[in-house]
Amino acid sequence: MSGWWQSLAEWLKSLFFNKEMELSLIGLQNAGKTSLVNVLATGNTTDTIPTVGFNMRKVTKGGVTMRVWDLGGQTRFRSMWERYCRGVQAIVYVVDSADLDSLDAAKEELHALLSKPSLAGIPLLVLGNKNDLPEALSANELITRLDLKAITDRETAVYSMSCRTQANLDVVIKWLSARSK
Amino acid sequence: MASTAQNTLEPLRAAGDSKAKDEDMEEELEYSPFYGIEKGAVLQEARCFNDSHVDPRRCQQVITKLLYLLTQGESFTKSEASEVFFSVTKLFQHKDVHLRRMVYLVIKEIIPSSDEVIIITSSLMKDMNSKNDLYRANAIRVLCRIIDSQMLLQIERYLKQAVVDKSAVVASAVLAGAIHLASASGEVIKRWSNEVQEAITSRHPMVQFQAVALMHALRANDRLAVSKLVTQLTRSNVRSPMAQCLLVRYVAQVIAESQPGVGNETRPFYDFLESCLRNKSEVVIFEAARAICNMRDVTTRELTPAVTVLQLFLSSSKPVLRFAAVRTLNKVAMSHPMAVTSCNIDMESLIADPNRSIATLAITTLLKTGNESSIDRLLKQIGGFMSEIADEFKVVVVEAIKALCLKFPQKYRGLMNFLSNVLREDGGFEYKKAIVDAILVLIRDIPEAKEMGLAQLCEFIEDCEFTFLSVQILHLLGDEGPRTKEPARYIRYIYNRVILENATVRAAALSSLARFGAHCPELRERILILIRRAQFDHDDEVRDRATLYLYQLEKAPQGPESVDPQWRIPARGLEAALQQYLASPDTEQPFDLSTIPEAVAASPAKPKAKPQGLAAAVAAGTSAPGAPETLSGEYADMLKAVPQLAALGPVFKTCPALQLTEEETEYKVVCVRHILEGHLVFQFNCTNTVREQVLEHVSVAMDLDDLEAFSEELSLPLRVMPGQEEGAGQTYVVLARPPGSLAYGSFLATLRFRVKEIDPTTGEAEEEGYEDEYQLESVEVSPADYIKPAFTPNFRAAWEALPEDSEMMDDYGIGQRDSLQDAVEAVGRILGMQACEGTDAVPPNARSHTLLLSGTVVGDVQVLVRLSFGIDAQRNVAMKLAVRSESSDVSEAIHAIIQEA
Repeated sequence: MSGWWQSLAEWLKSLFFNKEMELSLIGLQNAGKTSLVNVLATGNTTDTIPTVGFNMRKVTKGGVTMRVWDLGGQTRFRSMWERYCRGVQAIVYVVDSADLDSLDAAKEELHALLSKPSLAGIPLLVLGNKNDLPEALSANELITRLDLKAITDRETAVYSMSCRTQANLDVVIKWLSARSK
Repeated sequence: MASTAQNTLEPLRAAGDSKAKDEDMEEELEYSPFYGIEKGAVLQEARCFNDSHVDPRRCQQVITKLLYLLTQGESFTKSEASEVFFSVTKLFQHKDVHLRRMVYLVIKEIIPSSDEVIIITSSLMKDMNSKNDLYRANAIRVLCRIIDSQMLLQIERYLKQAVVDKSAVVASAVLAGAIHLASASGEVIKRWSNEVQEAITSRHPMVQFQAVALMHALRANDRLAVSKLVTQLTRSNVRSPMAQCLLVRYVAQVIAESQPGVGNETRPFYDFLESCLRNKSEVVIFEAARAICNMRDVTTRELTPAVTVLQLFLSSSKPVLRFAAVRTLNKVAMSHPMAVTSCNIDMESLIADPNRSIATLAITTLLKTGNESSIDRLLKQIGGFMSEIADEFKVVVVEAIKALCLKFPQKYRGLMNFLSNVLREDGGFEYKKAIVDAILVLIRDIPEAKEMGLAQLCEFIEDCEFTFLSVQILHLLGDEGPRTKEPARYIRYIYNRVILENATVRAAALSSLARFGAHCPELRERILILIRRAQFDHDDEVRDRATLYLYQLEKAPQGPESVDPQWRIPARGLEAALQQYLASPDTEQPFDLSTIPEAVAASPAKPKAKPQGLAAAVAAGTSAPGAPETLSGEYADMLKAVPQLAALGPVFKTCPALQLTEEETEYKVVCVRHILEGHLVFQFNCTNTVREQVLEHVSVAMDLDDLEAFSEELSLPLRVMPGQEEGAGQTYVVLARPPGSLAYGSFLATLRFRVKEIDPTTGEAEEEGYEDEYQLESVEVSPADYIKPAFTPNFRAAWEALPEDSEMMDDYGIGQRDSLQDAVEAVGRILGMQACEGTDAVPPNARSHTLLLSGTVVGDVQVLVRLSFGIDAQRNVAMKLAVRSESSDVSEAIHAIIQEA
C-alpha cells in the first residue's frame, strides 16, 4: 500500500517538476564515470568495478530527472559511444586529470567523437576528475592539453572536480540542470 | 499477455478492416494482422526506441513487426541490424515486463555481431541473477544464443546452477540453450552432467524433455554412450510424453545401429517399444509404432502389435492421427504387404475421407496389399476418386497401379483399361507422362498386354497435346508395330499425325511410317503413297525425311532395310569423334566415319590417358558396371565393324571382361568372351605399356588340345599393339563349336608378337625384330556363359507350358552359409539367371525358401529353374534343384553347372 502511495506522490511530483534530461557519460576507463553517477545518485562514493557495456541510471536532482547513460570506457566500447550520445541533452566527458599519460588518448577519442555529424551541437561538459590528487591538472591546463579551444561548434564547459571529495560537484549539477528541458 | 497482444494489434486490424470495406465490402475477407508490413517503414518506426519518453505499447508493436520480418526471412543489412540493436538496448532499462520480454526476443533474433554484443552482456548477466524468473529465463536464452566459448566460461557457474533451478521456466531455458551450445562447446556442457541428470528426473514435462535431448546431444557422436544412455533411460521413469517420444527415437536409432538380431533372439529394446504402444499418450503410441515399422528386417510377429494400434488410429476422429497411421502403414505395405491386409477394411472406408491426402495414401496402400480378387473392386472405387485429387496424387496412384500390374500380370486387362481411361481425362504433363511410362513398362514386361497397350497409346496420340509424349509413342509404334499381328491397323493413327500435328511430331510419325514400310513388304506400296504426300510439307525436316525414306524404300542398294540401319556407330563414340574433328585445325578434310570404330578400348586402369573415339565410349562403359546393356551394345558394334566377325551372326551374350595379365606388366591384355549361336569369339584388348618397344603382328594362340568340342576357325592378328596413349587394340580368336552345344573348358592362351626395339637416340624402330611370346592367364568358359537372364512375368504358367519330361530334379548340399539370403545370392550368381516374382529376396529369419529363376540359353532355348532351399540349426543349407527347359541337354547342363560349382 505504501508503495502505491509513494508512486502516486512521485507521479504528482513529476507533474509539477516536469523537467527531464538525458545525458551520456563517457571517457576513458578508470576516469571515474560510474563513481560520478553514484555520487550524483546517492551522495557518496563506493568502490566500483569496470563497467562492461553500459548502466542506465535515473537521478533526480533539484527538480530535474536525469537519465544517465554510463558507458564503459574500455577500448572495445569506445566505438559504441556515439550510438548512446545521439539525441542527448548533454555529453559529459570525464577525464582522469591526474593520469597524465592517458591525456593524449583522451584527447583523440574526444575529438573523434565530436567530429560525428550526428552529435553536432550537443553541449559538452569536460570534467577533470580526481583533482584531490597532488599531480592533478587544473581546468586551464586541461583546456590546453585536450585542445578544447578547437571545439567551436557547441557549448563547452570545463570543470576540475573530485568525486571523492565532492569538490565542485554543485557546479556540475548546476550546469547540467541548466541544460534540461 | 494474450490480451495485450490483442490490444497491440488492434490498430492493424482496424486498418485491414477499412481496406476490406473499400474493396467491394467483402466483410468475410480477413486480413492478416501482419498484412502489408514493409521493412523500410518498420525501421523508420523503430526510431521510437530512441525517444526520451518510451511508449511501451508502441515499442512492443514495432518489435513484433521486426520479429515478423525476421521470421519471414527478411534480411537486415549489417548497419540496419546494428541500428536496431543499439536502439533496442536503450529499451533495456524500461520497467514494463512485456516490453522487456519483447526486447529479449528481438535481441535473440537479430544476433548482433560479436563486437557489438558486449554492450549488452553485462546487463543480461545482471538479469540472469534477477529475482524475476521471467527475466532470468529470457536472459539465459539470449545469452546462450549470443555468447562465445570464452564468455561461456565466465558465466558457466550461473548456468550450471540454473539447470537445477526450482523454476521450470529457468531450467528449461538453460537446457534449451545448452543444446545449442553443445555443438560448439560440448566440453563445458559435459561438466554439467550431474545437474542434467537431476533435471531428467524433473516433474516438469518440458524440463524432462529438454534434459533428455541435451543428454543425447552431448553423446551423439559416441554410439556406445548413446546405447548406455538409452538403456538407463528406458529403465528410469520418463513420464513426459515428449521426452518419451524422444526416447523412442533414440531407441530406434540404437536398434538401427546394432547388429541384426541372431535367429529368434528378440531385438534389444523391442520390449520397451512394445510397452510404449500401451502408453496413455497418442503421440508416444504413434512414435513407437512408427519406430517398430521402420526397424530393419522387421518380422511379421514384431509388426503385429504396431499394426494393431495403427489400425485403431485409422478410425480415429482426428485427421492427423488417421493421416499418420495411413502414412506409416503405406510404408509398411511396401515391405510387408501381408501384415497390413488386416487393416484393409478400415482403409477402404478411408477412400471417402474428406482429406484427400489420407484418401490417396489409403488407396495406394490398398493397391499394394490388395490380392487378385479385390483389384476389380478397388479400381471401381478409385475411378470415381481420381477426378477429385491433384495431379501429384494421381501420379502416386498411377505408380501404384503399375506396380500392381507387374505383380499380377494376369490382371493386366482391367488395369490397362483403367490406365487408358485416366489417360483420356484432363491432366498435366507429369501425370500423363507417368501414365504413358506405366503403359510402356507394362508393354515391355507383359507380352500379352502389348497389342492392347499399343492400341490405347494410338488412341491417346489422337488427342495428345504434349509433343514429347507423342514423339515417344510414335517411336515405340515404329519399333513394335511392324512385329504385331496386324501392322496395318496402326498406319491410320500414325498417318493422322502426319496430317494434323506440329512439325516435330510429323517428322517422328514419318520415321515411324517408314519403318512399317521397311519391315512389312505387304504394306510398302501403300506407305510409299503416304510418304509421297509428305514431300510437300512446309517444314524442311519433314520434307527431308520423306525424300530420304522414299529413296531408301525404293532405290537404295541395300534395299528397304536401310530405313532401319543395321550399321550403328555408338552415339557417344560418334559425338566424341565429331568434337575432336571440329577441334582439329583442318576442317577442310571431310569427316571420315570409318575412323570411329578403329580407335578402340582404352585401358580402364589408365583413366588419365585421354581416350578417344569409341575408346571413350568403351572406357565409360567398363567403368560403369551399372550399365551392362550399353556395354554389350558397344561390343556388338565393335564386332560388326570387323567384316569377318560380322558374318558369324548376332552376338547372343557378351561376358564380363577378364584381365589376363597382372597390373603393371609390359603388356596389358583384357579378354572379352562373346557367345554366338555356333561360335565363341574371344576379343583380346591389348595395350603396350613399354615405350621402348614396338610390338607387331600381335595374335593370341589358344591351346585346344584337350577340348575336342572346339576348333579354331579364325584368328585376326593386330598389326601394331597401340601404346597407352592410343587405347587398346584388338586381336580376335574365333572358335567354332556345334550349334547349341554348351561345351565348356579352360583355354591356355599365349600372346605372340614381333618385338622391335626403338633406338633411344633417333626414336626410330629397328628394321628387324625378333619373335617373342608371353604366357597369359588361362581363359575360362563355363556353362553359365551360355545363359542370359530373361524376364518371365508369369513363372507358373511358363513352367507348366514347358514339357514335363524335360524336368530334372536333384538334391544338393551346399554347406554352411551365413544365411539363406547368402545361399540364394551365391546360387543366383553362379547360374546368372533372372530371379522371378521377387524370389531373390529371402524374408528375414526364414527357414526355407523357394527361388525361381528364368533364363535363355544360347540358341534361344528357354530354361526355368526352381530351387528350394532349407537351412538347419547348424546353418547347413540344402537345396533341391528342378530344371525345365525345351531341351533336356540344357537341363543337364544346368545341373552340371551346380555340380561344378
